[in-house]
Amino acid sequence: MISKHALRIIIVFSSIAIMAGAGLVIKLFLIPDSFGVYGAYRADAIEEEANRAIRHGTNKSCLSCHPYEASIHLKGLHKTISCEFCHGTFADHIDNGKKIASLPVKKGDDITTLCLRCHNTEIKARSSVVIKTVAMPDHLRKQKVKETHSCNQCHHVHAPLKHIREAERISGLKISGKGANLTGANYTLFSPDGNENIILTPPTIPYSKEVYK
Amino acid sequence: MQGFHEGAGMLISNFVLPNDLHVHWSMMIVLYPYITGLVDGAFIIAALYYLFDVKSFKPVARFSLLFALAFLSCATIPLLLHLGRPERNFNMLLTPNPSSAMAGFGYIYAISMGVLLLIVLFVYRPDLVRRGRDAKGLMSFFYRLLTFDSDDLSESALRLDGKIIRFLVGLGIPVAAVLHGYVGFIFGGVKANPTWSTPLMPVIFLFSACVSGIAAIVVAYIFIRKATKQSVDHNCITTCIKTLTGFFILAFCFEMLEVFSHSYLRSGYHHMVEGLLNGPLQNSFWLWQVKICSVIPLILLGVMAFVPLKEKFYTTVAALVSAILLLQVFIMRWNVVIGGQLMSKSARGYTTFHPEWFDKEGIIAVIGVMVIPFIILFILSRIFPFWNNRDEKGVI
Repeated sequence: MISKHALRIIIVFSSIAIMAGAGLVIKLFLIPDSFGVYGAYRADAIEEEANRAIRHGTNKSCLSCHPYEASIHLKGLHKTISCEFCHGTFADHIDNGKKIASLPVKKGDDITTLCLRCHNTEIKARSSVVIKTVAMPDHLRKQKVKETHSCNQCHHVHAPLKHIREAERISGLKISGKGANLTGANYTLFSPDGNENIILTPPTIPYSKEVYK
Repeated sequence: MQGFHEGAGMLISNFVLPNDLHVHWSMMIVLYPYITGLVDGAFIIAALYYLFDVKSFKPVARFSLLFALAFLSCATIPLLLHLGRPERNFNMLLTPNPSSAMAGFGYIYAISMGVLLLIVLFVYRPDLVRRGRDAKGLMSFFYRLLTFDSDDLSESALRLDGKIIRFLVGLGIPVAAVLHGYVGFIFGGVKANPTWSTPLMPVIFLFSACVSGIAAIVVAYIFIRKATKQSVDHNCITTCIKTLTGFFILAFCFEMLEVFSHSYLRSGYHHMVEGLLNGPLQNSFWLWQVKICSVIPLILLGVMAFVPLKEKFYTTVAALVSAILLLQVFIMRWNVVIGGQLMSKSARGYTTFHPEWFDKEGIIAVIGVMVIPFIILFILSRIFPFWNNRDEKGVI
């Protein structure tokens, strides 16, 4: 004869087993239909993603309507940079071939913040062969300009060395690059189109203990 | 703009990829293995008493179970807080598959929670039945629910309870070991991170979990008993410290073995790990984890094992050494979780981590999360008395 206590325990454990079983059955119903068709994910997700409206155009889309900017951008060191990286997405500006809104134009400190996204010395991801980086406000002090200067007061945002080359041409001084008489440089590399050159600093030594001391 | 300049060059070195600059798994992910570890260690003490009949653990056995339950119920909080979309964790549980380590954890967590809850209810059934007899109305119903509606306290009923407790604890040991071993496995399974990706990781996590849990029980037991002006069972503390010593020797050996094997094998990413331990982690690993929080406790534990100390002094040193070991395990989790992310996937650069006070995963949030299990423990103590003061008949 089974005791009342034992019966209660049997009921408790049976209920747990039933609930676990019910959970597994409910789980079957909750799994999305297309799950597992190709792998451990929802197959419909592929189509849903593919059907999402395209938000980015290309530089070609932008420059076809902005010939003046195109004439500068394509000659500068920034020619491979996407317009939308700084200006915002194409879809916010054009819909069905018609202008729907203006994209915000960055000014003052916002420009500096934008430039430092890539040109900040703190970002060490790319070697200085690929991208010139600066520390602020060291760079401004070194160039003997006010610390309140924003980047675009010396650098044209579409062609960073445009104004500098023009200043060199007018003044006869060599401001940067090989043989510069205002800043020290170690190497000079000419850009493929030969219009501008960039300064290279010596490569840093990998993991030096001194860095942390 | 000053900030850009100040941060530059000094702590971030060489080539750090932009997505490696920021430590994504921060303090909440440090708490997650820490809290599950506390659960594991506390459960070991309960298991030693209820399954292996180590009588000297009797004073803390029930408390350990409640401590484990309070912390286990909070084990997933840091993880869910870390997620941007916490409700999506259910998606992971709906479609588990062998390539998702985290889904496996969800199931193991659920099983261990169920097993622990049942153990607590069976262990406390005689107390709950007595309390239920005095209770009225809604509370009476509540106690009936907790006692499975059985007020039978006859010898045969208690014997049956005892058998079930032993079975559940026996089941609970592998479940607890898997639960925490799994936490180590989740880190060990990240192939892209050379400091995590080692088969030793689950073992190290498991042993340090036992250390932290036992240390937490010692500290909490001494603190609560002293605070409530009750006596401290010396025999129990001695056994706890002996067990702690054993687990800590193993944990520390494995922690060092991992470093030595990295160092001796000089495998692919050895230069990165060496640079990490001697660079960004120099203080937190060698000074704090190894010298201050491991070597000093080892000496203290050695003294406690070989030199006869007066009971009162022994208790004080026991609390001190346990507190240091709690810190050791926390720093170890910190060095594994945050330390492991301070090196860039470029394998050539290191970044830095500054904890913030008012962040989603900041210091205040961490303190908040750590307070919750203690609140739960307090609430539990209102229903389940910590100490078995009356030496009643029964298997427990």
